[in-house]
Amino acid sequence: MRKHLSLGAVATVAVVALTACGGVQNTAGGGSDSGEYPSGAVEMPVGASAGGSSDLISRQISQGLADELGGSFPVINREGANGALAAAEVAKAEPDGSTISVQNASLFAITPLAVSEDEVTSIDDFEVVQGVSRDDYVLVASKGSGFASVDDLAGATKKVTYGTTGVGTGAQLACALTFNVNDTPAEAIPFDGGAPALTALLGNQVDTACLQVGEAIENIEAGKIVPLSVFGPERVEFLPDVPTAQEQGLDVEVAQYRFMTVPKGTPQDVQDAIAEAMQATFETDEYKAFNEQNNLTPMEITGDEVVAQLEEDKQRYADLVEEYGIDLGDAS
Amino acid sequence: MDWNAFLDGFVVVTQPTNLLYCLIGVMIGMLIGVLPGLGPAATMAILLPIAYNANDPVSAIIMLAGIYYGAQYGGTITSVLLRIPGEASSVVTVFDGFALAKQGKAGTALGIAAIGSFFGATVSIIGLTLLGPIVASYALDFGPPEYAALALLGVLLVATVGNGNTIKALVAASVGLLLATVGSDSFTSANRFTFDSLQLQSGIDFVVVAMGLFGVGEILYNLEERHGKPHVPAAIANIWPSRKDLRQASPAIGRGSFIGFFLGVLPGGGAVMASLAAYAAEKRVAKDPSRFGRGAIEGVAGPESANNAAATSSFIPLLTIGIPANASMAMLFAALLVVGVTPGPQLIEERPDLFWGVINSMYIGNLILLVLSIPLVGIFVKILRVRPAILAPITALITILGVYTINNSVFDIFVMIAFGIIGYLMKKTGFEPGPMVLAFVLGSLMESSFRRSMLIFDGDPSGFVTRPISGAIIAFIVLVIALPLVKMAFRRRTPVTPTSEPIGSDDSDQEAGVR
Repeated sequence: MRKHLSLGAVATVAVVALTACGGVQNTAGGGSDSGEYPSGAVEMPVGASAGGSSDLISRQISQGLADELGGSFPVINREGANGALAAAEVAKAEPDGSTISVQNASLFAITPLAVSEDEVTSIDDFEVVQGVSRDDYVLVASKGSGFASVDDLAGATKKVTYGTTGVGTGAQLACALTFNVNDTPAEAIPFDGGAPALTALLGNQVDTACLQVGEAIENIEAGKIVPLSVFGPERVEFLPDVPTAQEQGLDVEVAQYRFMTVPKGTPQDVQDAIAEAMQATFETDEYKAFNEQNNLTPMEITGDEVVAQLEEDKQRYADLVEEYGIDLGDAS
Repeated sequence: MDWNAFLDGFVVVTQPTNLLYCLIGVMIGMLIGVLPGLGPAATMAILLPIAYNANDPVSAIIMLAGIYYGAQYGGTITSVLLRIPGEASSVVTVFDGFALAKQGKAGTALGIAAIGSFFGATVSIIGLTLLGPIVASYALDFGPPEYAALALLGVLLVATVGNGNTIKALVAASVGLLLATVGSDSFTSANRFTFDSLQLQSGIDFVVVAMGLFGVGEILYNLEERHGKPHVPAAIANIWPSRKDLRQASPAIGRGSFIGFFLGVLPGGGAVMASLAAYAAEKRVAKDPSRFGRGAIEGVAGPESANNAAATSSFIPLLTIGIPANASMAMLFAALLVVGVTPGPQLIEERPDLFWGVINSMYIGNLILLVLSIPLVGIFVKILRVRPAILAPITALITILGVYTINNSVFDIFVMIAFGIIGYLMKKTGFEPGPMVLAFVLGSLMESSFRRSMLIFDGDPSGFVTRPISGAIIAFIVLVIALPLVKMAFRRRTPVTPTSEPIGSDDSDQEAGVR
């Protein structure tokens, strides 16, 4: 097998070399005929540590792709800079389908609002293959704060503190917008991820926090923290009693969603093969149960729709941030 | 207390795989305890990637914990038989242990040490079992101000009361604090000391640094230190101590366990400090202090009970509030992070299997150690004959492969080697890497907690003093800083004979003994 592969690679290199001036890019490594894909192991870098939702989703998709297409799709954790490290690796990988990655919307739509120009990751460096799922944010208040609804926040007598899951995350944006739209004096307290922010909220160290639904739902159901609002376009299936921000008269809509990307210039037939395999995976009971268990709402739209949504969100967020004079990059 | 969770913990431990991991852990621990040079922190650093690749993270953590307390047993053996402390925490055992061996009572010394170790550890585990959940229940009251104060106390204590030269320890700790600032600032996302490198943007990985400083550094240092000198161990006869010996040793075992338990909980404390304190205490309460150094059984019993008690109780701050008390706990902290568990107040509720599994594994691990430590003495002594020239390349290879598997990053390998060289040079010049690693871990916690606190306080630092828990910690910090100063002032006023206080000589003694 290995010998066969390397012979193939030599042959391919020879062909490419012979036809010199290119134009036959699509005969490189990862295989060109959709029936052939994948011709070897496909790396799936993920920009988060093991155990988080991004990681779990990548692993579930990896399993699905391996079942549908054969071959192996090892997930590689490359955490850091809200996924920018993993993104950079995918962007500069060979565009032949041998490196693919499930990425987060926040890196493209929200992080640019917080970091300097040259650190921005652009969606233009990737082909978006397929949408995956949505992970909603929820605004929760600590028991000790006494807040029971978004209206209570407006009537706060002192500065309200809100924990976020970090700078440049959707959680920070959702909370910042809520307080600014409401004109409530508030202070952002950034934590390193959802778990420490939740711990601080449970201990009444902060009054409120914006978290992902999956991170907060256990303690919401146990009655230890109070959900005030979700930020999606409609209510979240897993928290049917919690109203959206829009319902409560706040023009705030922020969501995290994930989608499959490949490096720019990856052949269309490879992209199609991945998309088809993913759609087949989405239909399996195992995958549906996985979404249910992790409080993920399916968002299985096409790649083009994802890009359109990203552009729209990015513009909308930028406008809102400007309108309310929010500086995400400077929490202090 | 949740007795069900506690009992479920035993179900976790008694699964055959976990029992096996526990056995492997304590055996490795005892083995490296025997080998002078390779300490528990270094071994945990080298074997850390196993945690990442194990099927069940609980098994991996059980094994790594076993290495730490197992090493406390092993360290005694070489102290007694060869006059070489296998571990820093067995340095004081050398004085009376080797004296006993010369009198032909090596077996008695080892027997008492094993019994004392078992007793000290068991007392401490019971303390941990009862106290752990109580501390954890207050853990939610630990907000950013408390963490900031506790981290500061930890850095201060590790630098000032650790073994070796205080100034050098402070320098090492400061470098550790500086290293912690590298990377993208999590409050403003400004880049600090990243030199436009995407790799450095997420900061220097603590696991990689620790593997370099402890793992590679130790390997390089040992390669130079041990030239394969033949060791001739003392003969062992009659392992079971007589009733008279036991009667003489038991109060020391009790005191040692008590001292060890409390010193282990303190940030910056741990087995080394506990053994020193216990030895000093024994000497002080003895009717005839001159016996010490000439084969006093209490001089073995006290420190050996204390270092095991401390090794166990230092799990309390780690498992309940997520603060590593010493370098070995910092490695365990890293291991937990590697398997995707953030040590903190949520641990006992979210992962009771892990919390109780690890704690209960210690009951069983110590039982295994008690049973095995004596019969295996002969084998372990033979291992001392393995030449470092053979051992070093193997461990180096394991370390390099290991660090790569954590992040699949070649960059990490180079970072680790660079820190390995730094660690080697530090040891050579008398700087301990321990304070540096601990300051590195606690540095980012200290900084971000402080900034978070200031945001919560709305810029008014008096909140640190008015909150009860952080106030108490700050008071303790002031005490730690003030006490030596007061002492110094006092000493200057009352002229004492300069020979009565051998302050300076302590340092050089310990340094020579500590690996």
